[in-house]
Amino acid sequence: MQKYVVATADEIPPGQRKIIKIAGKSIGIFNINGEFFAIRNRCPHGGAPLCEGVLSGFVQSPVPGEYTYTRKGEIIRCPWHQWEFDVKTGQSWVDPVKTRVRSYEAKIEQGCSLVNPAEIELEKGPFAAETFSVSLDKDYVVLEI
Amino acid sequence: MAKIEEQKAMETGKKLNGIIDCDVHPHPKSYQVIQSYMSEPWKSRFNAQTGLRGMYDNPIHVNRLDSVTPDGGYPCSDPEFTRKQLLDEYGINYAILLPRAFVSRYSNPDFAAAIAAAFNDWLAADWLDNNNDDGRYKGSITVAPQNPQAAAREIERWAGHPHFVQVMMDSGSTAPYGQQQFHPIYEACEKHGLPIAFHPGTEGVGINQSHVAGYPTTYMEWHTCLPLSAQAHLVSFITEGVFEKFPRLKLVMVEGGSAWLPSLLWRLDSEWKPLREEVPWVKKRPSEYIKEHVRLTSQPIESPDDPKHLLMNFEMMDAKNILMFSTDYPHWDFDSPTRSFPKMPEDLKRRIFFENAKELYNLE
Repeated sequence: MQKYVVATADEIPPGQRKIIKIAGKSIGIFNINGEFFAIRNRCPHGGAPLCEGVLSGFVQSPVPGEYTYTRKGEIIRCPWHQWEFDVKTGQSWVDPVKTRVRSYEAKIEQGCSLVNPAEIELEKGPFAAETFSVSLDKDYVVLEI
Repeated sequence: MAKIEEQKAMETGKKLNGIIDCDVHPHPKSYQVIQSYMSEPWKSRFNAQTGLRGMYDNPIHVNRLDSVTPDGGYPCSDPEFTRKQLLDEYGINYAILLPRAFVSRYSNPDFAAAIAAAFNDWLAADWLDNNNDDGRYKGSITVAPQNPQAAAREIERWAGHPHFVQVMMDSGSTAPYGQQQFHPIYEACEKHGLPIAFHPGTEGVGINQSHVAGYPTTYMEWHTCLPLSAQAHLVSFITEGVFEKFPRLKLVMVEGGSAWLPSLLWRLDSEWKPLREEVPWVKKRPSEYIKEHVRLTSQPIESPDDPKHLLMNFEMMDAKNILMFSTDYPHWDFDSPTRSFPKMPEDLKRRIFFENAKELYNLE
């Protein structure tokens, strides 16, 4: 597991996403109500850029004619074939056994914790330089892949 | 590094992989573009409101989200961007263009014919005569079935154009297309060596009959049942003897599915043996007409859990001679040339992805 600093926390407000390229992979980082989640930007079904899709809720029904709409903003739909994936786990809703997109851990670390290499071993990411040049009280999104 | 990537992209762009995409949907940049080819009184009657289908729209989105053009324009409205995102990305030799004017839904046959003609003028100007130096874009002449004589005149207007390779009608209709009232269209097609293609999209919309009993409730129900429309028109072509009357006519069923074909061939042949007397002009087994005259496009290709079942079905339908690859770009249910088919023997793949369409459309 390597850790990469991929964004400042305020760069991805709740409900927003950022797609980054790191270690040869395209990965989408999502902020859902202040929590960060990361999944591979490649649909396991047809290879489309999954993280560019529509973020929606989850429509369910106890009985025909009744609808429930929950988890608004937590389901990503492929921009091609519209399959639904849980942003939090990468799980597909249409074929949960065989189809899932790789998910990664993304969390917030405080800037002051990042300057101590003994504490966290950081690889160079697109924002690595900024950890030293930007104010240290800022929060950063750290991705583990 | 950037230079190497650029070089690589240029080389990829030039590489052709032996693919003909038989279902690509160009879209005008705006309704005004279509209006500019129309004369009054139709010009001012055609607008965004009349242009939208307004029923059975995909509840999520109808186009691939990444197909919006770089300047924010409508998907597949820019020949250069489509060349880059579709043709060069996959090494596609030719794209057969089928604009979706949905003209078969209008109650006024003159209005429908005027819209069809304007779409043809626009397609010729923006995609075929210009922005087509490499000749990879081939077009379909849109005709409205409401007035078959007018449709035949529209075919005459474009016959001989180097880049129009077929005639296209919506499969949403008021009657089965094999019926005699539509024959002037097929006569013109045969005269000019142009296949007639049917494409779904107006089933149950406007003046058209639904393809099921009554109106489907949801887009999913409507969309799942579209192959029924294709099958009904195909059976009509056989029982009405269209291929006996027009022995050089070719029929292309676009986006109507294909996995149903084996059972339909078997059923038609079985029905014909006892009931031939009712349709005495049907002189051969129906399956023989279909193999000789009909081609099906592949998208959306069925994806059974076990890919070998698809290959078995290909064998039963004679896919090697009847199936033609298509993507349906830029629509949401796009079939990728590299991802949508299971591994196939090379000669079968070559026939489906290239040879069948090359022969049908007389391409190089």
